[in-house]
Amino acid sequence: MSRRRRGAAPVARFFIVLNLVCVIVPIALIAVWAFADRWAWPDLLPQEFSLRGFSEVFSGRLGTGWPMILLSIGIALATAVLSTVVAALAARAMTLYRWRGRSLFSFSVILPFIIPSTVFAMGVQVLFIHAGIARTVPGVVLSHAIVALPYAIIIMSEVTRAAGTRLEDAARSLGAGTLATTVHVTIPALLPGILSSLSMCYIMSFSQYFLTLLIGGGSVRTFAVVLFPYLSSGDRTIAAAYGLTFIVITFAVFLIFELLLKRFGMKEERTLYG
Amino acid sequence: MHLELDHIALTLGGKRILDDVSFEVHDREFVSVLGESGAGKSTTLKVVAGLVFQDEGQVRFDGTCVDDLPTHKRGCAIVFQDIRLFPNMNARDNVAFPLKMQHVRKAERHREADELLAAVQLEGMGGRRVGELSGGQQQRVALARALAGKPRAMLLDEPFSGLDEQLRDDMRTLVLDLHRRFGMTTLMVTHDPDEALVMSDRIVYLGEGRMLQEGAPADLLLNPQHEAVSACFGDTSAIRGTVAGGEFSAGKLRVPAPNRADGDAVLVRVKDGGVFVHSLSA
Amino acid sequence: MRALSRKTKRAIVPYLLALPAAALILVFLYGVVNGVLQGFGIMPFLGRTEFTLEYYLEALTRSDLTSSILYSLYLAGVSSIIAVIGGVAIAACMTRARTGRFLRLVNVQIPIMTMHSLVALAVMFLFTGSGLVPRVLAAFGLVSDPSSFTSVVGSVSGWGIILVYAWKEIPFIAFSTVAIMASISDSLGEAAAMLGASPLRAFFGVTLPLCKGAIAKAFMVVFAFAFGSYEVPFLLGPTLPQAMPVLAYVEFQDPDIVNRCYAMALNGIMTLLCSLIALAYFAVLNRERKGGTR
Repeated sequence: MSRRRRGAAPVARFFIVLNLVCVIVPIALIAVWAFADRWAWPDLLPQEFSLRGFSEVFSGRLGTGWPMILLSIGIALATAVLSTVVAALAARAMTLYRWRGRSLFSFSVILPFIIPSTVFAMGVQVLFIHAGIARTVPGVVLSHAIVALPYAIIIMSEVTRAAGTRLEDAARSLGAGTLATTVHVTIPALLPGILSSLSMCYIMSFSQYFLTLLIGGGSVRTFAVVLFPYLSSGDRTIAAAYGLTFIVITFAVFLIFELLLKRFGMKEERTLYG
Repeated sequence: MHLELDHIALTLGGKRILDDVSFEVHDREFVSVLGESGAGKSTTLKVVAGLVFQDEGQVRFDGTCVDDLPTHKRGCAIVFQDIRLFPNMNARDNVAFPLKMQHVRKAERHREADELLAAVQLEGMGGRRVGELSGGQQQRVALARALAGKPRAMLLDEPFSGLDEQLRDDMRTLVLDLHRRFGMTTLMVTHDPDEALVMSDRIVYLGEGRMLQEGAPADLLLNPQHEAVSACFGDTSAIRGTVAGGEFSAGKLRVPAPNRADGDAVLVRVKDGGVFVHSLSA
Repeated sequence: MRALSRKTKRAIVPYLLALPAAALILVFLYGVVNGVLQGFGIMPFLGRTEFTLEYYLEALTRSDLTSSILYSLYLAGVSSIIAVIGGVAIAACMTRARTGRFLRLVNVQIPIMTMHSLVALAVMFLFTGSGLVPRVLAAFGLVSDPSSFTSVVGSVSGWGIILVYAWKEIPFIAFSTVAIMASISDSLGEAAAMLGASPLRAFFGVTLPLCKGAIAKAFMVVFAFAFGSYEVPFLLGPTLPQAMPVLAYVEFQDPDIVNRCYAMALNGIMTLLCSLIALAYFAVLNRERKGGTR
């Protein structure tokens, strides 16, 4: 048994290292380009470095820099909260109750997962214009939340099914009403799922280009929208600076959620296996 | 509290779970619902607690129908087989939870919780995380928690079946002690006939959702009126107890034992239904 | 009677819980159905209500449109097959080598978090005429100048697009399967190995068949995504044929309203295909739930 493992593991390790290299090289290349000022053919390293790219990103002109970054983060957070709350309720209905229409509902909620958001975006634009929410932040948040919803529902269904009503029944028999049960028992039990759903939806919203472009119509300029034209502009330094900033912000937010998850997830783990 | 179930019937998913179940638990009485798994015992508890609604019949507390009261207003604390302590709270906060729900002030509820923990022999363990406690300790915390809110009735759902044999005996003694000390009205569900015999003032035997027999432990043991009841005690092992004045007793079980010497004895039930008391003392 | 009313209240609860999600989904369906109907020439907001099959028929016969459909199918098919093979292989390697938390974070989470268009940017940095790869080749004397290296951008074979999807979706497939694979391999895989099956046979005979559902679901998600997303083919794709979403958006933006109908007809075809995938996905999900929860 152990000899077999020793025999095959190097192959597995090789592929994992290969995987690692494939992941790191493109990211590192973007990072190098972000600081490169002059990198002429055929040199393997840039001749000159500068912060020109970042001064462009944070130039503070209208619709760029920190205000734009904060707007994007705000939209992504609002999306994450909206879809996670809606998904938590829906997951409860789907996993803990039997009702007419449950199958149809469960099928419908995975549709945005499969049907492309480009199709949705082009079709729904008219509705948003008529409803007066096109070109507004709430409109963009709503459209993002719709696209992120299936991800949130899949995550929340899993934790809700695992938690069941065991602890809630106990709490209610001890005199806790609906609100108290939710606050003291249900939310703590679902917290790991809530955090990963928030994190997932945040990333979905933050990197949403096409939908934001169509619904935001150029008035709501998020990071993904501002960044996109630079990708094919030919100025590699600026494109890379935007790209690197984007990666750093996404990763930072992801790490914050991971830390929260670790902090609150540990308790669960200890009680589960303790 | 005087608890009444009046012609309770319930069908779930096309299956008759409870069929015309009627019995009472008098104030401060300890009643067991005995039966095989799938007999509808746990469902009976859930109907009393309001976690499941019956299709027909009434549940009455002290003569008042409680069918329109939600679970948290019925005041029936359940102790579950799988314990169900809240993992995000320590032992003290678990016990204090019902008091928190009654808006008792923090210092006061911590004091009461610590007293209750002492009552279940867990003095000074209040700060422990739930996961750091053993199975038996967790079940004690659950008992303390159930008592904390001064419930009108305590409902025990197979509370000992997750524990090992040695622990089970201690816990039975503790539960009966708490039942007496706190003046509780207690309804317990069990599939263990020995447990029902020695702990209960009365036993309700449930088979496939119907009541097959109801009475004092000795009644069911000596005069089973249904095959299932008889079969249930059929594999009963010997019960240890004592004889005094011509009566055998083990826990709450009382069986006439004329012509037996006072002292330690063992009660044995044989296959054909006969019950014998053997003196152990010389 | 009162008990009945509580029972009724309880029966309403799931509908109330589902309501907000249902509202969001209705907006989604409105968008999709509205698009499909526009493909049939029905645009009430412009006063057009006459049903016509003209645009769909043309979408299926006009050569630039049909080639676009086939091109998108090709891109999605090849990308998702590569992603599944690579993703399952990576998941298997991670299970086998018992990869730690950090490596999983880097190997899996970073690609999942990185936006598709940034990966396209990196591919351009690597494989355009003045990219890093031709520079390295030049260092070995294999390439003389930037123009002698065929750039990834605009290649009809779409290998750059496929590369981006592979980079993004291999880790996604690995992410979707590694947990279930690890748990299966721990229990059943070891049992099979004990019974004398070689690790490879244990993997193909036991672990892989049991992960089928998870793999199938991930495959469908990846296929649908590669089929319907705009950014990557826009940045890296050739001028002809264009991927469906790119062509649809070009037609959508055209001031002539007839072109909007072509765009929507293309979208309608995407919707039809993806709805079929969604049905298959749902079927797998249901079977797993029935089998999995015991």
